[in-house]
Amino acid sequence: MSVPNEDNMSPHTQLSSHFFGELLDSIIVDVASECHRIARLGLDRNLEEEEEELRLSAQARVTVADPSNSGETNGKYVVDIFGQTHPSVANEVFDCMNCGRPIVAGRFAPHLEKCMGKGRKARVKATRSSTAAQNRYSRGSPVSAYSAYSNSTGTNRLSNGTYNHTVEEYSNGTCEEP
Amino acid sequence: METRSSVFANPKPCKHLADYKLRHGLSGYKFLQKCLKTFPNGKTSIKMCETTMPKCSFCSGIRQGRLFLCLICSSMSCSDHTLLHSQSENGHDIAVDIERSELYCCSCRDQVYDLDFDKVVVAKNIVDMPSKTRDSVVDGLMRRSSKRRRLNSVVDLDLIRSKFFVWMRGRRAKSCYPLGLRGLNNLGSTCFMNSILQALLHAPPFRNYFLSERHDRETCRKRSSDQSCLACDIGVIFSAVYSGDRTPYSPAQFLYSWWQHSANLASYEQQDAHEFFISVLDGIHEREGKGRNSNKDNGDCQCIAHRVFSGMLRSDLTCTTCGFTSTTYDPCVDISLNMDTSSFCSVDVANKSVRPNEDTGRSTLLACLDLFTRPERLGSDQKLYCQNCQEKRDSLKQMSIKRLPLVLSLHIKRFEHSSLRRTSRKIDWHLQFPFSLDMTPYLSPSIVRNRFGNRIFGFESDEADISAEFEIFAVVTHSGMLDSGHYVTYLRLQNQWYKCDDAWITEVDERIVRASQCYMIFYVQRMLYYKANEDLSCTPMPSRRDPFVPIAGCC
Repeated sequence: MSVPNEDNMSPHTQLSSHFFGELLDSIIVDVASECHRIARLGLDRNLEEEEEELRLSAQARVTVADPSNSGETNGKYVVDIFGQTHPSVANEVFDCMNCGRPIVAGRFAPHLEKCMGKGRKARVKATRSSTAAQNRYSRGSPVSAYSAYSNSTGTNRLSNGTYNHTVEEYSNGTCEEP
Repeated sequence: METRSSVFANPKPCKHLADYKLRHGLSGYKFLQKCLKTFPNGKTSIKMCETTMPKCSFCSGIRQGRLFLCLICSSMSCSDHTLLHSQSENGHDIAVDIERSELYCCSCRDQVYDLDFDKVVVAKNIVDMPSKTRDSVVDGLMRRSSKRRRLNSVVDLDLIRSKFFVWMRGRRAKSCYPLGLRGLNNLGSTCFMNSILQALLHAPPFRNYFLSERHDRETCRKRSSDQSCLACDIGVIFSAVYSGDRTPYSPAQFLYSWWQHSANLASYEQQDAHEFFISVLDGIHEREGKGRNSNKDNGDCQCIAHRVFSGMLRSDLTCTTCGFTSTTYDPCVDISLNMDTSSFCSVDVANKSVRPNEDTGRSTLLACLDLFTRPERLGSDQKLYCQNCQEKRDSLKQMSIKRLPLVLSLHIKRFEHSSLRRTSRKIDWHLQFPFSLDMTPYLSPSIVRNRFGNRIFGFESDEADISAEFEIFAVVTHSGMLDSGHYVTYLRLQNQWYKCDDAWITEVDERIVRASQCYMIFYVQRMLYYKANEDLSCTPMPSRRDPFVPIAGCC
C-alpha cells in the first residue's frame, strides 16, 4: 500500500491518514520497547541455539529426501542390530491366556478379540470417541484445563496400521480380518 | 554452560541515570507512583492530569508521537524533542514514557532500566489489582510453592536409582548395545502399543522404579487375586526387555490386561498411540493410587505414573474490563499442542527455493508452545462471569505451566477436524523439535511476568530448585494416513539413536530422527538423562574386567 500523496488529499483524508500513522507508530514503538526490555534483561531465548537447531533440521530433511541416500531411509530391513531377521508376521507361538489355545503372535490380537467377546461385532455401544472421552484419565483430564484449544476429545487421534503401510517394510501380509 | 544465578541480567545504568539516582534518589519515582495506572491487560501508564490532554512543551501537540515526562521538572516532550529538553536544561536527562512507564534517557536516546523504578511500578500494579486476583498473580510471579515436595520426589527416585545400580551389577554386559533394547512383536495392528511401550521402557525414573522391583508383584497378586494389574504386567515387560535376551518379545499378557482395563478400546483395529498412553497411565494409577492416597484434588498422587509424568497447568481467565483474573490449576500427564499454522520462514539455509504452501507447511515445537501459552481472546459468544464486575464480560485466557513433571510428554495434534466440510484430515507438516529443551519461558512466573511488562523484581524466588531443562529420549512418529498408518519409535540412548519398528531395532543417524514426522515427544529432566546414560554404560564393571578376554559379539 503506497503512501498517499499529501498534496492531493482532502483535509479529511489527510486527517485520517495522520491518525492512522500515529496509531501505527504507537504500535511499532510498543513492540520495540517490549523487545528492547526483553533483550536488555536477558530474557530472550538463546537465538543462536535456536537457529542452529533449525539449520540442522532443514539439513536433515534435505538429506533424507535425497533418494541416493542409504538403506535406512527406504526402510527395507535385512538384519537388525543384533544380526537377527524377522518375518512380516511375528511367528512366536504361545498360549492364549483366555482360552489356553496356542496362538501365533502376529495373529494374537484378532484372536483375542473374538476370544474375549470384544471388538466391532461384540460392541453395541456408542462410538468410541465419546466413550474414550469418558474413560479419559479422570483426575484432572487435560481436556478441562485447555478445552479452548483442543478439539473434541476423542477425535484427535491417529490410527496405527496393519502391514499395509506406505513404507515397504514387509513383503506382504495383512492380518486384517473383515 | 552455567545457569544464570538470577532470572534477569541487571543492566548497568548509563551515567545519566546513575547521576540522577545519586542526586535525587527515589523521590521522583515515589511522586510518580501516584500517577501510575494499571490496565487490565497488564500495561502501566502515567496520567498526570485528569482534565487536560498531555502535550509536548516544544511543539504543543502538532506532532505528538510518544510523550516523555521529565522526572525532574515534569515537562512533557515528544520523541522529537526529548534531546532538546535535556540540552536546554542541564541535568534533565531522565524521563519516562507515559504510555508504557519505561524510563528513557534523553541524552543517550535510549530506554534505560532501574530496579528501583520497576519495584515502584510493580507495587502499584499489585495495589491496583482487584483484590482476589492479587494472590494468584503474586504467587504466579514467584516460584516458591512446591520446591520441597519436588525435591523429595526427586530424592526418592534417586534412591530407587541406587537400588537399580545393585540390580545392574548382576547383569552381564553381553553385548556392546545398551541393555533394554529389544524388539516388540506386532500382535496384529498393535504398533500403537509397541511404540508407546518402547518410550515407557526407556523413561529413566519409570524404568528405575520397575527394574528395582518397587512394584511388588507378589503382594499385588495376593491383594487382588484375579483382577489384572497393568503395573504388574509392565513390570514383567521390563524384566523381559532388560533381561539381555534380544529376540523380540510379545507383550501379549499386557494386551490382555489392558483390554480388560479399557473395555471400550478393546478391539482389533487401528488405534491412537496417545489415547493408549493416557489409558495405560490411568490403569497404573487406578491400581497403585487407590487407597494409598485419598488426596485427589491437588495432583499429589504418589503412584508411579503420576510421580513421573504428572505436572500442573495453570489457566488464567482475565476480565478485559476490570482486570480481575481467576486462576485455576489442573494436573496433567501430558500437554497436547496445536500446530502453529502461521507459516514459519526465518532461517532456511538448505532450502532456499521452497515455497510454503498448504501441504508442505512447517512448524516448530517452540512455536507450538508459544501458541499454547499465548493469551487467547475468548469470543463474545463465550463471555464469562466476572466476580468483580458482577456480570458477563469479554475475557482473555492464558495457559502456563505451574509445575513441570520429571518426564515431559508432548503430544502434537495432527488431526484437523473441519465442522464445515465434515471431514477430518491429518496434518502432515514437518515439526522441528529440539533435542535439548528449556521450558523456562513457558512456566507460570515467566508468563505472568511477561503479562505485566517483564519488570525486574527485587524479590526473586529461589531459582533452580527444579530445573526447566530437558533432554529428549524418545520420539513416537507416525507415517501414513489417518486410518491406516504406522507408528515407529526412535530412542536416544547414550547419544545414539535407535529405531524401534515393532520387532526391528536398528541404528539410525540423528538426521533421520530430525526429519521424521513426530507425534509424541518425550523429554526427561536433564540431570536424570545424564544419570540414566551412566547407568546404561555398556562397558563391563571394573571388577570383572579382564583386558585379555575378547568382548562378546553383539548377540
